[in-house]
Amino acid sequence: MLNIENLKLSFGEKEVLKGVNLSVDKGDVVTFIGPSGTGKTTILKCINYLVEPHEGRMQMGSISVDFKKINKKETLKLRRNTAMVFQQFNLFKNKTVVENVMDAQIAVQKKSKKEAYNKSMELLDKVGLSDKEKDYPSKLSGGQQQRVSIARALAVEPDIILFDEPTSSLDPELVDEVLKVIESVAKTGVTILLVTHEMDFARKISNKVVFMEKGKVIEEGPPDQIFENSENERTKQFLKKFYSENKEVLEVR
Amino acid sequence: MNLEILWQDFLGILPIVPQTVALAVIIFLLSILIGTIMALIQEYNVPILKQMVILFKLFLRGTPLIVFIFIMYYSLPSVVNFFTGLLNMNYNAHNIPPAIILIVAVSLTVSSFQAETIRGSFLSVSYGQMEAARSLGYTPFQAFTRIITPQALVEALPEFGSAFLVVMKAISLGFMITVVDIFAQSRLIASSNSYYIEAFVVAALMYWGIAVLVVTLTNKFESRLLSKS
Ligand SMILES: Nc1ncnc2c1ncn2[C@@H]1O[C@H](COP(=O)(O)OP(=O)(O)O)[C@@H](O)[C@H]1O
Ligand SMILES: [Mg+2]
Repeated sequence: MLNIENLKLSFGEKEVLKGVNLSVDKGDVVTFIGPSGTGKTTILKCINYLVEPHEGRMQMGSISVDFKKINKKETLKLRRNTAMVFQQFNLFKNKTVVENVMDAQIAVQKKSKKEAYNKSMELLDKVGLSDKEKDYPSKLSGGQQQRVSIARALAVEPDIILFDEPTSSLDPELVDEVLKVIESVAKTGVTILLVTHEMDFARKISNKVVFMEKGKVIEEGPPDQIFENSENERTKQFLKKFYSENKEVLEVR
Repeated sequence: MNLEILWQDFLGILPIVPQTVALAVIIFLLSILIGTIMALIQEYNVPILKQMVILFKLFLRGTPLIVFIFIMYYSLPSVVNFFTGLLNMNYNAHNIPPAIILIVAVSLTVSSFQAETIRGSFLSVSYGQMEAARSLGYTPFQAFTRIITPQALVEALPEFGSAFLVVMKAISLGFMITVVDIFAQSRLIASSNSYYIEAFVVAALMYWGIAVLVVTLTNKFESRLLSKS
């Protein structure tokens, strides 16, 4: 359902993506792991064209684009078939919790207020926040904000949801509530692309793990292959380093 | 001070208050409009226009308002005549009411400050807000009207409040070109009954009352908006 070919992107002189290929099936949960500054966020943002690759082709469902000559209509189509959950939540500060979930349904999907409201309350119920309906985001904890932002993403019924380190800016005790919600989203069968440093979680929910380094995909495969039986030196080194650095943190949990 | 006269003056000046405030509101709104256009030109780096805006701002900031008002008073009719002449329109711009000239002069001057306020308030809205809207498929226009502008407004509100008071006071220079506002009216009354202090005290109290009202309103509105962010 998603096919990316030869994706290249530079910020000024700096080559960030050096020809990435990726293929994702409907219902896949694909997790990206790798050192920071490697281009994981950038890949997700290419998919909804929040950043502008200078080369590459992408096919998403029935949409097919060549990034060299993408137009505004195609850009909107890509964005309307995807939704993104950001590391910093990025909830609309001028809107209440329920308005955050409603707004795109009204503005983008042209639904009636009532219809949008009903759907939003249903989703807020799913993420366990229907009692916060009238609060402004600033009143919520990070974990609650991220759950609202997941409801906001689900509200537009995207084919693909892009999660960019959804738990990285949360206090440790708030991580689990968000992971639980993501897990329940994964179970609905929607296609998910996830960047995370929560390795155990990645192993548990993904059916495909992509290890990236310096703007390139180094290895990809099912979680067991990557985490247990990788033949690739760089993958092994990254995981070894990652686990030794995070040992303390993991033990504390 | 004569209380009787104070009261009489109060009644004499009161009828002019609504039109002074109306004039201020018009100028204030125009200055926001022009300020927004200037801010957009600068933000989007429109060639030539951008240089013009920068020069124009410099000129407005360096010129005393009263000088600019007189420049407009003596040149605006000819400028308008030049253009209407080009368009073969039959309009004698020397009949332009002085209030219009005052509106143009003060709006332009205040807009150069408004442009800065507006630019700053938009820059203060984090980029993540725009990204979130775009990721959901908002058109740029929808993102600006529904998400970005309301947040920028919170930021700009206190500045807008003081800009309005600047406008209120600036209008009093209008008496130089025969526009009658609170101040001009109090001068007229004072010279007719020769009770100068009373008339000007009443004028000052009225300006002060308006200021209190504006400050209270912006504070109220601001705290309502702030409770959101
Ligand atoms: N808007 C930007 N302008 C310039 N450089 C950027 C921008 N966004 C990201 N980068 C650079 O691109 C590289 C990849 O970033 P990113 O995709 O965020 O990595 P990751 O998510 O893997 O940590 C980094 O070196 C980062 O500094
Ligand atoms: Mg990142």
